Order: sequence, then structure tokens, then C-alpha cells
Amino acid sequence: MRTFVKSSTFLRETGITVLSIILAFGIGCIILWAAGYSIPAVFANLWKGAFGNKIAIGNTLTKATPIILTSLSFLIAFRCGLFNIGAEGQMYIGAIVTAVVGTHLRLPSVLHAIIALIAGGLAGALWGWIPGFLKAKRGVNEFVSTMMLSYVAIGLTDYLVAPRGPLHDVEAYANQTIAVAATARFARILKPTQLSWAIVVAGIAVLLVWYFLFRTPSGYELRIVGQSPTAAEYGGVRIKRKLILALSLAGLLAGLAGAGEILGTHFRFVDGFSPGYGWDGIAGGLIARAHPVGTIFSALLIGALRAGALQVQRSHAAPGDIATVLQALVIFFIIAPTLVRMLIRWRRRSTQ
Amino acid sequence: MNIWSVLGDIFTFPLLLATLRLSTPIALIALGETYSERSGIINVGVEGTALLGALVSSLVAFFTGNPWLALIASIVAGGLAGWLHALWCIRFRANHVVSGIAINILVGGLALFITSAVWGWRGTSPSSTPLNNWVIVGAMFVLVLLSQIFIFHTRWGLRLRVVGEKPEAADTAGINVHRTRYVYTIVNGMLCGLAGAFFFNNVTRFTSGMVGGRGFIGIAAMVVGNYSPIGGLGAAILFGFIDALQMRLQTYIPSQFSIMLPYLITVLVLAFLIKRAQVPAALGKHYVKQ
Repeated sequence: MRTFVKSSTFLRETGITVLSIILAFGIGCIILWAAGYSIPAVFANLWKGAFGNKIAIGNTLTKATPIILTSLSFLIAFRCGLFNIGAEGQMYIGAIVTAVVGTHLRLPSVLHAIIALIAGGLAGALWGWIPGFLKAKRGVNEFVSTMMLSYVAIGLTDYLVAPRGPLHDVEAYANQTIAVAATARFARILKPTQLSWAIVVAGIAVLLVWYFLFRTPSGYELRIVGQSPTAAEYGGVRIKRKLILALSLAGLLAGLAGAGEILGTHFRFVDGFSPGYGWDGIAGGLIARAHPVGTIFSALLIGALRAGALQVQRSHAAPGDIATVLQALVIFFIIAPTLVRMLIRWRRRSTQ
Repeated sequence: MNIWSVLGDIFTFPLLLATLRLSTPIALIALGETYSERSGIINVGVEGTALLGALVSSLVAFFTGNPWLALIASIVAGGLAGWLHALWCIRFRANHVVSGIAINILVGGLALFITSAVWGWRGTSPSSTPLNNWVIVGAMFVLVLLSQIFIFHTRWGLRLRVVGEKPEAADTAGINVHRTRYVYTIVNGMLCGLAGAFFFNNVTRFTSGMVGGRGFIGIAAMVVGNYSPIGGLGAAILFGFIDALQMRLQTYIPSQFSIMLPYLITVLVLAFLIKRAQVPAALGKHYVKQ
């Protein structure tokens, strides 16, 4: 174990992450047992719903797609020492603008989808810029403001698509817009599941965020602000600009997540279209240990938990919300490497 | 519609009472956060801690039928959540904000899981005998006044402030930094648990969205109140007033707009109403004994 720990940071980080997940599932088992549910039945259904067959895998990937983007959203702000917990709202704003562009513009296919996607991203960026600006200019705690603006965004978009709202689909009872034009839709990849080209967008975003953070001067400066504001100041970094940039980019990524959901999954804006992908991004970013490439795995984990949870719920093995509990438990262990190391050492001592 | 008659319909004595009631949970959370942040621990898990208090209230009230027992259980549960947060921040040196987020997500999941498991309704409990909520309103005022004296005019309060400002100096003076932080983070949790009991008693049943960002508004109230109990109460009354007002405005404007009003006002107040707050110097930093 000691050589393993020393061998490399990457291995150590991965090892702690995997151990955290195992420990979290262990505690999840205790909760299930205490509540009187059958642990094997829950995990069998969790697996079946997440990876059991082609459709299950498609569902997992479909759910992982927006979570990759919201995880990147959390992470890029986190790298700058900021907490963006408003990805949910930024997603809604991105989604509604994408829906407007998708329903109201007449453009050739592909181009239409790209324009709608970009519009959604930019709208999200604007929604992220506000708390960034307030943080830089007025010292407003971005933790509170991104959260508050999230509620505002959800209320605002709900108003727009509700009956009497300007974007309401008059032929529907639900709070939703009309369907986006066929030209603006992403092609489905794995029918009959809803998996679409949005996952490719998410993949490209991972690469771009990685490139930005680790291969550009601006990304380097952004990380320095997060690691040591004092060093950044001495180094001549314009901190306030970086704060605004980080939260705008966070909003951009969350906006893209919303856009992808509209263009690839729902084909229209429906109120409540997100089951909480914005919040999942917080967990996703943390489980990825704030590394862009890690979000692919963390989003897969959370997407699998979400897809599996539906099957757990359907099979009456247990309430599907055990998945959220598991997610939170993973975070608890991930953020306390000291604890995990302590447990490893304790185990070693007891086996000696 | 005559504007004066509309205003007359909105600004009434019941509005004042509603303001007092709705300020209470926000003021309790702001007070709790004042204690823990003064000691150096940021706790954004107050949102989840309050939800936990409400959940435990509903469970205990349902199974025992005794609202007083439910109240006490909420406070104890809140204290446990505070202890968990302190353990993670102090012992395991987790990032304070992230640990708080984890508490919020955990309680959010547990609330849905437990309500489904116990009552078969995802996210709601059946209604049960409530406590007269004015008890908690009264307790809040007493607690805020006593805390103001405690923090600024007693030896214990001075120790609390030193731990948050200069932990090294506190340590040299023989104050146990870690223990102080544990104590006040647990106190924060207990006050949030009490706020949760209020939320439960206010509607006599549990719903998973019942805290609805008021934990974060409580943190905002603490910032606006500049880390003092009385200041936090003042800000909480402002936010409570907005909350009471929005319920009345629903008759006149689309409900989506009135519902978002408290959140919008919170951002505006933070942006335009306050000078830079006097943040405790060692806030959010891990203290390692030399």
C-alpha cells in the first residue's frame, strides 16, 4: 500500500476516489438494511437499470451528457476559487433561449442546431456573468448569488412557458414551448433511447476545458487565482477579470447543458425538464477532483445512478432516491482524503 | 383598480404578523451562522440542516404525537449535523463549503428516501399536531438578544471571536481552538434544527421543498447584518417581510414573479445595500497546531 501511495499522484488520487465510492456504497447498504430493504435486490436493479442492456446503457449515457457539462461548469469556477452552485438556473436560461432559437428561426439543418446551441451557451454565460460581476465589483458572495439567481431563472422560464406566458404552447396543458424545428434537432445515436449528438458536444467541451485550463495563459492565471490570490496579485494577474471570466464560462457550460437537453432529448422546453442535473454537476465536479477528464467518469457514475434509480423505483426494491444519498456519501469521502487514508492505515494495522 | 385600495389590502396587520413569523427561521439560521463563522467555520449546510430539523420534527411528531418532543428532536438532529460538519472541517480538513454542500445533498436525498420509506409519499409527510409557532418566534427574539450580549460583552464571546480572528493567539492564550469551533458549529446546527422545527410547525407537515433556499437567505442575512446577532435579525426581518409580501402579491402579479421576489431582493440587497462586511480573518482556514 505504501508503494502504491508513493508511486504517483494520479494513482493515489484515483485510488482514494475508488475507495471513497466503495465506502459510500457500504454505508448505503447499511441505510438500506436499516430501512428493511433487500440489498441484493436494490443493487441488482441498480445495475440492470444502468448497464443491463443496450437501452439501459443508452439511458445512462443520455443522463451523463448534461452532467458532464454541469460538472465542468462547477469545476471551472472551483479552479478559480469560486463556487458556482447555480448551474441549474444557468441551464434553464440556456435551454429557454435555445428553444426560442430552435422554434422561431428558419435555417438549414446542422447550422440551425449549431446556432441554437451557441445561443443557449451564451445565454447561460450571461446568467453566470451576473454573479461574476457582482463578486468582482461589489464583493457579493457568489455562493449565495448563484443560488438565488437559480431560483430566479427557474421562476422566469416557468412564467414564459406557463399559460398566458409569451412562449406557451397553446395546444398543450403542460408548461412548455412548441417543438423545435426538425432542422435544429440533434440526431439520435442509439435508438430507441434519447442519446444524441449532445454527448459529442459534451466530449468536445471536456477537451476544450482541459486545453483552456492547462494549456493557455488565461487558464493558468485562472488556476493561480484559485490556488493563491496573493501570488496572482504579485504576478500581475487581474483577479477581478478572472473571477468574472470563470463564472461566465461556468454559465456557458451549464447553458450548453440546457441547450443539449432541448436539442437532443426533449425537442422543446418543458418546465422542470431537468431532474437536478445542475446540482449533479456539483457532485460530478467534486468526484472528478476538479479535473476536466475526470468529469467523464464522474458523470457516468452519476448518470448510471440516476438511470439505475429509476429501475430501483420501478421494481419497488427501494425508493430510487437512495441514489442521491449514495451520491452525497461519495462526496463526503472524496472531500476527506485524510479520513480515507486513516481508514487504510487502520485496516493495515489491524491486519498486521 | 385603485392603487391605494390595493396597497390598503396588502399592508395590513396580518402582514406584520406574517413578517414576524417568516423572519424567525431566517433569523435563527443567521444567528447560528454568526456563531460558527465567528469561530472560523463556514457552514453552507444550514439549508440541509434546517430541512433535517423539519424532517425529524415530522417523524417524531408522527410517531409520538408529542410536538414538544419533536421540537427537541429537531434541535438534537441539527446539532448532530453541525457536529458532522465540524468533524469534516476540523478533523478531516475538508473544504468548508464543499462539506456544507455535501450535507445539503445528503439531507435532500434522505428526505425523499425516508418519506417514501415511511409513508410511501415521495417528499411529504402526513400532517400532525403542531406546536404553537409563536413559541419559536419568542424564543428567537430571546436567543438573539442574549447572543448579542454573549458575543460582545462576555469573556466567552471574546474567546469565540479571537478563535475566528487569530487562532494562533487564542491557542497561545490557552484557548482550545478546535473545541471552540466544534462547540459553535454544533450550536449553529441546533439553531438550524430549531428553524427546521419552525418550518414543520408552520404548515404542520413536512414537504421536501419547504426550506426552499431560506438557509442561503439566512447566510445572506448574516452577511448583511455584519456578523452580529441583532444585525442579522434586522436583515432577517427585511427578508421575512419580502416573503410575507410575496404571498399577498400573488393576487396581483403572476405567481412565478412573486415567488422569485425574495431571491431577487436577496441578490439586490447583497449588491447594493451593504458595505464590505468584516469577515473574520481566519474564516474557512484550517488551524494546525504548531
